[in-house]
Amino acid sequence: MTVTPHDLLEAVRGLRDELLETAQHGDREPPGTEVFEAVLRALAVGGGARRAAEASAPRASPLDPSLQDAVARRLAWGESEEAVLADAEQVFDRLLAAADRALGDPESQITVIEAMTQVAVTVSRVVAGAAVARAVRDRAARSREEMTQRQLKEVLEKQKASIQRLERELKQDF
Amino acid sequence: MIAHPLRIAGDTNIGKVRAANEDTLILDPGLGLYAVLDGMGGANAGDVASQLASDTIREYVQHRALALTPCDLLEQAIIAGSAAVYSAAQIEADRHGMGTTVVACLVVDPSYIVVAHVGDSRAYLLRGGRLQPLTRDHTIVEELAGRGLLTPDEVERHPYKNVLSRNLGSRPDARVDVIEVEVRPGDRLLLCSDGLYGYASADAIQYVLGSGDAPEEVARDLIELALRGGGGDNVSTIVIEVPAAPASSTAAVRTAGAVAWWQHRQRFLEVAAESALARNPIVRGLSAKDAVDLVALSLCQAIYHDLEKSTGVNVWTFAQNLAAGWFERGGDWKPVRAIVDILGDCARAVLDEVRAADSQLGFLLEVAVSRALIVVELALGGLLAERLRQIDDDLVELHSATMDTLEDTLESEEVPEATAPALAPPGELLDNPTAPFERSEGPAPGDEAPPEVVGAIAKILTLARGRVAPRDALTGQILAALQAVVSDSDGNFTMAVLSARGLYGVRSVDPAGVAPLFDAFDQARVVVAACAQQQRAPIAVRVRALRALSTAHQRLASAVTGLVLEAVGPYHDRLREAQATTAELRSAVATAERTRAELERQFATVVDTRLPWGARGTSDW
Repeated sequence: MTVTPHDLLEAVRGLRDELLETAQHGDREPPGTEVFEAVLRALAVGGGARRAAEASAPRASPLDPSLQDAVARRLAWGESEEAVLADAEQVFDRLLAAADRALGDPESQITVIEAMTQVAVTVSRVVAGAAVARAVRDRAARSREEMTQRQLKEVLEKQKASIQRLERELKQDF
Repeated sequence: MIAHPLRIAGDTNIGKVRAANEDTLILDPGLGLYAVLDGMGGANAGDVASQLASDTIREYVQHRALALTPCDLLEQAIIAGSAAVYSAAQIEADRHGMGTTVVACLVVDPSYIVVAHVGDSRAYLLRGGRLQPLTRDHTIVEELAGRGLLTPDEVERHPYKNVLSRNLGSRPDARVDVIEVEVRPGDRLLLCSDGLYGYASADAIQYVLGSGDAPEEVARDLIELALRGGGGDNVSTIVIEVPAAPASSTAAVRTAGAVAWWQHRQRFLEVAAESALARNPIVRGLSAKDAVDLVALSLCQAIYHDLEKSTGVNVWTFAQNLAAGWFERGGDWKPVRAIVDILGDCARAVLDEVRAADSQLGFLLEVAVSRALIVVELALGGLLAERLRQIDDDLVELHSATMDTLEDTLESEEVPEATAPALAPPGELLDNPTAPFERSEGPAPGDEAPPEVVGAIAKILTLARGRVAPRDALTGQILAALQAVVSDSDGNFTMAVLSARGLYGVRSVDPAGVAPLFDAFDQARVVVAACAQQQRAPIAVRVRALRALSTAHQRLASAVTGLVLEAVGPYHDRLREAQATTAELRSAVATAERTRAELERQFATVVDTRLPWGARGTSDW
């Protein structure tokens, strides 16, 4: 039986509740949803790694903007990068085990494994990129703080000089 | 120290991969000071570190030359360089973590040189045509090897072989290794950065350094050698030559040696004709005279031309043609070894005669001919290595084919088709929920992997390494790390964390520093997928191999990201500290402002009380 990309996509989509434990999270979006969605997107376009592997020269896949948005949103809500990575790892492991069990066709398993690897690297890249961007912002903010400190120190020096002058004059007057 | 009659030249090159040259050279004949410094640290800090250390060392030697012994002078100068780099790194946040290696020498007099080093830049001495390392790298792996915990082979293959244990800039002082070298006429000293020996073999370096060319040409040729080997790093070389006695200048050696060799060619051919050369299987079918003409005369001419031009090209080509032609005809290794030994004996017989007639000329010719024979061995070694790789590939193919057959047999005998169930429709998958997951850890890739899966993984990674361009060193490192992670059988992926540290190395915390890592991860992923496709192993084996590699890939990428997070942590802490300091300053300014206002009020009151009663309260302050 030949498995079409659509069948495969639907089969993996069918694993969603099981992988993300949606029932336990009620109305909230389960952690790791963005990773699972990214895997589905990678499968929908035919598996980035497979397509690249079949090309004459290997090339890297483009960054997934939706995944980047989703990760950025989680970080903006105050979640840590470590939490995002841990969720991604959990989805990765579960999907790997589920694909082994639920997908009988080895070619389909290979396609899913390749898509997952692609997403795993992309998640790492996005999280690292976000962390580096934060570091760059922190560095710039620290420069601004240091500039402010220099200005404040100048003001403080002037104030001290002014205070000393006033104290001297007051003593003389008394 | 003093002006000296040594011949010295240095050169540096950015290489083929790096965006900037972070190496710095010191070539100061006035001080007798020569050094190679290899900077490290992103955001243009590497070249700052090496330049700063270089300036400091030079300045220190200049001002303290008379106050200290040569060994102490060089050691203290390097320590001062380390302190300067360390201070600069502390002052500017962007340069935090910068550092540099150094290998330096101080020429005290033409026969006495002091060499000092920190890090993995090296010094070599070429004496009598043999290259000897003078320094031992300050890397973690070398330190372990020094304690006998690693063998030389393990050192060469170790994933952390480039991780430094010492450098200038990581701490205010530096532990410097200093040695004194008594040099002799004809010696050559080489100082170089890791961009040379990382991309050129010791044999090749020995060959170029011993070529007899001028130091300027040798320094340039060594760099060319590293560039041809991939040029993956900045490369710098300094060649210091102690001139030989005037009677044996390089040109004279060349000419006299070549002429003497050619004059004795007849004797060489006679010895060859008397040897077992004609009975060697390689020349089977030829008459004894033709055999001697074809093999011995060709080598004789090749040696003559190489002596004349001071190269090894002709001898190399002779050996390659001889062996490759024989191997193509299906020949084995033994006759090649035998014929080379016979030719070596013939050459030595000629040398004995020359030495008996003229000992000095005999010695010179012996050096030159020995070099030619070494070139022959090198050429054969290259061919043998290629043959071994082919045999290795054939064995892996054979193993895969055997496993195919075995699996087919097992399937036809025992396993019905039902073991490979068709893909269930999505609805059925939902109707048959599987057991819930109880742990977050994934399956360990090396967990009880059968030998065929292990073999397939090794084959995929071997193929993948072959497809990665030599200049793409990072992707190659990732593939090596994947191998280590997959082989890690404890299932805890500790090897992923260790390998990630090796991959991360010294890196600037900005997009330019981090992005290449993930580009390389993507590249490795795509190459591995392509190589898995090309595997001839059964698909079930390929799936298992790919799953193990995929898990290793994920863990490794995740561990590297963890290191990025670790690296960015201090930025946030420092910002918080800066914000706290600003808040304290603001508070101090506010307090001072209140004090000043109070004093002004008091002052105004005092002045006011001294005014005539009617004028009080009207002063405009």
